[in-house]
Amino acid sequence: MSLRIRGLRKAYGGRTVLDGFDLDVAPGEFVVLLGANGSGKSTALRCVVGLEQADGGTIETGSRAAMVFQQIHLVPRRTVIDNVSAGALGRLPLRRSLHPLLFPRELREEAMACLDRVGLAGRAADRAGRLSGGQQQRVAIARALCQRASVLLADEPVSALDPSAAEQVVALLADLARTGGLAVAAVLHQPGLAVRHADRVVGLRAGRVTLDERAAGLNPADLDFLYGEQGAAA
Amino acid sequence: MTLTPPRRRPVTLVTATVTVALVAVHVLAWEATEFSPAALVQGWAGMADFLGQALPPDLSGEVLGAAVEAALVTLYIGLLGTTLSVPSALVLAVLAARTTTSGGWVYQAARTVLSFLRAVPDVVFALVFVTAVGLGPFAGVLALIFHNTGVMGKLWAEAMEEIDLGPRDALRTNGASRVQVAAHAVLPAALPQCLGLLLYRLDVNVRSSLVLGLVGAGGIGFLVNQSIKLFRFDEMVTHLLVVLVLVVAVDQLSALVRRRIGA
Repeated sequence: MSLRIRGLRKAYGGRTVLDGFDLDVAPGEFVVLLGANGSGKSTALRCVVGLEQADGGTIETGSRAAMVFQQIHLVPRRTVIDNVSAGALGRLPLRRSLHPLLFPRELREEAMACLDRVGLAGRAADRAGRLSGGQQQRVAIARALCQRASVLLADEPVSALDPSAAEQVVALLADLARTGGLAVAAVLHQPGLAVRHADRVVGLRAGRVTLDERAAGLNPADLDFLYGEQGAAA
Repeated sequence: MTLTPPRRRPVTLVTATVTVALVAVHVLAWEATEFSPAALVQGWAGMADFLGQALPPDLSGEVLGAAVEAALVTLYIGLLGTTLSVPSALVLAVLAARTTTSGGWVYQAARTVLSFLRAVPDVVFALVFVTAVGLGPFAGVLALIFHNTGVMGKLWAEAMEEIDLGPRDALRTNGASRVQVAAHAVLPAALPQCLGLLLYRLDVNVRSSLVLGLVGAGGIGFLVNQSIKLFRFDEMVTHLLVVLVLVVAVDQLSALVRRRIGA
């Protein structure tokens, strides 16, 4: 198991966001998390990568998990390849990493391979800010690949993208799981995308898993429950 | 049917008190500074006498040449004082910005050093350094390095605090160290603002190096001081005209570059 979460709990000022959340994602598996706003999906992912501190529970990842975000969070002024190379900062010595000019040659080659994997090797020298939203999100995924993580998390990666770019990005995430052997977990707000691309769909309501189905077996009643009135109020 | 507008709000006690206090303070200030238009009118003869000696300015090649040469020294003092304060300002800014600091006592110490350097005027630094390295432009450069480190470090730290924190968080999640995050997320994002502030400080520093000249730190300020002491007001006006050209030129240049980089 690449990602194993057990009994994760998190509260903000007395408001419970995660209430005993469990999740397993196997290598080569693409799991989509669904749920109304405030159901705790994003918080769970942020706990895994250390952007939030959980109040309780355990998180096991094979190696460090990588994450992509809704707002993408590239450095727009830097080139695409510099942004991708930055994924490797954690394993570079300080003297080779103070400026992109100091990055080792092997790293730049690895970054090119990651860019090729997301289909953007041709844009390596462009400033990241000049790319479209969908392309930027794929660059962010390449940055995560350059981090050599075995677990890839995506927090609403396509919420700001048009439908065709969204389809492309989610298909890429699914392909990275299937042919790249990564354990991929993505928070989405489009059940249709989940059904078309995911292996498994996990539904959250009020900080707990209330649904865990193979994507093919998902039915509308399950979704009504996830996004229903009580779900939003809870 | 006509609608009645709401009543005007009555003048409150607070407004009245503040008004009275403001007037009182201005009256006190008027007396404390011995402000007296009458004295100015009575002294018109002295003014006319001064202007008579100052105009026309002495535009002889000798005076003008010396003025231009000294103005260049003033420019160089401002330039070196700004450039050489970049490393120290950068280090202190990174330590004093909430987005990059390691927090705790480092943050407090960096803020304190910046506040101290900012609180001591450059003229005071110049007087101190004149006693150390003697009269001349070097003392001026040293004074600007110290004072400008304080001002620019503070401005840069604020620019670094205003950036979008997303890229910083993204790099943190992949295990980048604090210094790496500063170098690859915070600094690139804050660079245009920091460059704009650098140019603004160059502009200010060229103007203050003129004042530093008045206390003996070289440049055209020194010539202005000299010509006043020798009652050569026509030369002084020449010097001031050269200063005017210099200041306008630096101001325009800095504004132009700042527009180009969009800061």
